[in-house]
Amino acid sequence: MTEDVPALSPETRALLDREREIPPLSPAVRARTLAAARAAIATGAIPAPAGAPAAWSRWAVAASLTCVAAAAAATVAYRHHQPERHGATAPAIPSARERPAPAIEPTPPVTPAPLAAASPSAAAIPSAQLPRHVADDGPRRARTVVTREELRLLRQARGAVARDDFAAALPPIAEHARDFPNGRLAEEREALHVKALVGLGRSDEARRAAASFAARFPRSVLLPAIRGMSTGSE
Amino acid sequence: MSHLRLLSSAPPQLTRDEECLDAFQKELDYIYRSLRRLGTPPAEVDDLAQEVFLALRHSWPTYDRERPVRPYLFGIAFRISAASQRKRRREVSFAVIETDEPGPGPDDALLAKQVRAHILSALEQVPLKRRAVLVMHDIDDVAVREIAAALSIPLFTVYSRLRKGRRELEAALRRMPSPAFPATPEGSP
Repeated sequence: MTEDVPALSPETRALLDREREIPPLSPAVRARTLAAARAAIATGAIPAPAGAPAAWSRWAVAASLTCVAAAAAATVAYRHHQPERHGATAPAIPSARERPAPAIEPTPPVTPAPLAAASPSAAAIPSAQLPRHVADDGPRRARTVVTREELRLLRQARGAVARDDFAAALPPIAEHARDFPNGRLAEEREALHVKALVGLGRSDEARRAAASFAARFPRSVLLPAIRGMSTGSE
Repeated sequence: MSHLRLLSSAPPQLTRDEECLDAFQKELDYIYRSLRRLGTPPAEVDDLAQEVFLALRHSWPTYDRERPVRPYLFGIAFRISAASQRKRRREVSFAVIETDEPGPGPDDALLAKQVRAHILSALEQVPLKRRAVLVMHDIDDVAVREIAAALSIPLFTVYSRLRKGRRELEAALRRMPSPAFPATPEGSP
């Protein structure tokens, strides 16, 4: 089999030999990368599926195929038994066509509460112990909703940072972090936090916050700016 | 007392995370270079290196310590690069080749950097799957069986990709003007 593989020309071989040597990283890049890695350990960041070992993808394919097969089998079984069921028992849930159209009611854009209540873990905890917006940590749909309260807090923080009143930005940021730890605007909040800390000259905290930001939002478009800010604060 | 002495002389036990971080730290230069060889733009290398760490940490409990770590890390870097390139293709409709290496200069170090940039540009023209095999085999000297294991592909596919990859690299270098492959003037034989 190896005879089929053409040998590289001497010129190409010589060029590739020059690429064998691995240039060392600058101490700054090394320190930054390791700080972010340590922060990822501390925060328990979840890896991207792309880098998972090959077994992961094989299992994922197997699981997907199983789901498809199960769905197909269920469809066949349902069709097979449908004529008998019509006469026997009425379906518990009417089909979409049978259901009356829901009345259109003006609803506020923010409706996270029912989802939070649907979560068994949330239901087990007395409501008094839950944070104000527990749904932010719960189902995915709740995370996609930006509440007015979130916006209000972030606007306050944004305004304060824009006025260079960095001290005034910290309370709304802290409040947002407490009430919406995983809110839709968490990324912007953390970015504002770094900016405020840099503005206040709290370099060490700014660096830590920047490392935490990089670990939590490694693909963020704000990351270069954050790195620039925290490096500039040194 | 002897018990106490024994305890104090025992080497410190690394936790799983510390062990993983240690391996990552030792191979950091290699990870960065591999990401560049796989076509990651300089602006994204930091982020992808972090993703490599997260994936390594995730798979660390199942990693066979008897196996060499570099091919394993390269396999992770390859998957992450491939995912990133797919995403980049969706987001950017035109290719942008960035190089962090400076232009030509009289210094030997600069010349070496220029040669490296030249090799990276040539590698860019080899499709990623074949480039990964080529880099592992012809630059990192990884055995074919180890490549097959690291990239989760059959042995035959490794040979096939290596064959095509070598041809593509030679062709790319021929097209590019360089000290090793001077540009042929048009019209000349």
